[in-house]
Amino acid sequence: MLQVEINRISLKKDNSEEVLLKDVDFSLNENEVLCILGENGSGKSTLIKSLVRLLDDNDYKVEGSIKINGKEILTANEDELLEIRKKYFGYVFQDVQNTFDPLKKLEYYFKKYLNSKEIKELFNYFLLDDVNVIIKKHPYELSGGMLQRLSLIFTLLRNPDIIILDEPTSNVDYPISNLILLKIKEFAEQKNKSVLIVTQDLEFAKKFERVLLIKNKTINWINSQLINEKILSNG
Amino acid sequence: MDKNILSFNSVSFKYPDFTLQDINFNIQEGKIFGIAGESGSGKTTILKLASGFLKPSSGEIKTNSKKKFGIQVLFQNSSEIINPYRKIKDILYEAYNLHHKNFKNIDDEVNVILELVNFNPGLLESRGSQLSGGEQQRAALARILAVEPELLILDEPFSAQDYKSQLNFINIIKQLNKGKEISILCISHSLSSLVEFADEVIILYKGKIIEMAEAKKLEHFYSNFLLEAEKYNLTKKEIEECLKQM
Repeated sequence: MLQVEINRISLKKDNSEEVLLKDVDFSLNENEVLCILGENGSGKSTLIKSLVRLLDDNDYKVEGSIKINGKEILTANEDELLEIRKKYFGYVFQDVQNTFDPLKKLEYYFKKYLNSKEIKELFNYFLLDDVNVIIKKHPYELSGGMLQRLSLIFTLLRNPDIIILDEPTSNVDYPISNLILLKIKEFAEQKNKSVLIVTQDLEFAKKFERVLLIKNKTINWINSQLINEKILSNG
Repeated sequence: MDKNILSFNSVSFKYPDFTLQDINFNIQEGKIFGIAGESGSGKTTILKLASGFLKPSSGEIKTNSKKKFGIQVLFQNSSEIINPYRKIKDILYEAYNLHHKNFKNIDDEVNVILELVNFNPGLLESRGSQLSGGEQQRAALARILAVEPELLILDEPFSAQDYKSQLNFINIIKQLNKGKEISILCISHSLSSLVEFADEVIILYKGKIIEMAEAKKLEHFYSNFLLEAEKYNLTKKEIEECLKQM
């Protein structure tokens, strides 16, 4: 049974004492996708980075508590932190060009899974060419759209308890975005997993039941059926 | 009869692994023309042909632009269109000084353009790298307008923008089109955005035109497929079946 509790965390730019986000409070549940919606610059990516302590401690101050199965992430030491990340999390970054090591062929990442049935199914599902051809390539030989799918496939193959996705539809065409949406939901619901997504795509966010909106430096639950273009405006 | 600012007549272009085939369209002066399609459909090849970066393998591209700098392109990657080290003010004034030697008052001219592209004059002293993507894009647009183009080509102008910035940018484009009588060619993977402001659109798939129609009168099943995809209404089966038919 997975329990992730985010209790009243606040993010500050360390030098300026400028508050980026305050009183963020939510939990992640099994079988569920949680979507965080917000504009450019609202702090969405910074927030999810803070959850696994990917922010530079010199630049940001995170207050509050983030607990996974009772273990506090914010005070964990380096070894514990690595262990937590490895054990529980899969992270699909928005910057797909820098996700994979540019000096290594993709097979470095995928060789472990090459004999599994799942890898062929996933490549096929995401409309990618033959696995054996793609993995012989370096990241720079592939388009952003392909790398975004490969990063997601790699994370799905790792099968972590929690997947965090930063703007998963930003580099791909809409038909592929539909496939991503369907696969994410399937992953959470059929495998008892938890998915956290940040997006600025209103139509995408509408398709989830639990949606948090970041606006004016705070975060609030919204009814996804009522999402429209006005919801993001200030005031 | 209406004049065409740009015409493609049976234009083809061959790459080793991709062919743009038999492209025909006319952009009438004063109109907004949209080109939609997925990655690899040939949108960018058409942009490069229209702006003269590529020459067609066969066919003919004609333009009615009479000016030296009549066709201008606003490129997609906002971080690469503005010099990150220079002040926005220097970038803009350089362009306006070069192209408006007769103007006594450059300040007035620049201020009018800044208002038109919705760029905050308070940012003039900032350097390129200090601006957000949307601000850089609008600064680049202001610089392009210095040469008073007749045809403005937009390359995926909404790709890095949230919904509000998109609406804002669409309004700017509409104003440039109506107020300054600039013809527009806009390339986008978002058909629904094009439908909102273009007069006419073409839909590309693997180098061919699938449909050409008035923006509000699209009928082809693939055009509808793209519009439904933007609303995330598709099932795995529907995606497979549509792509199988193509």
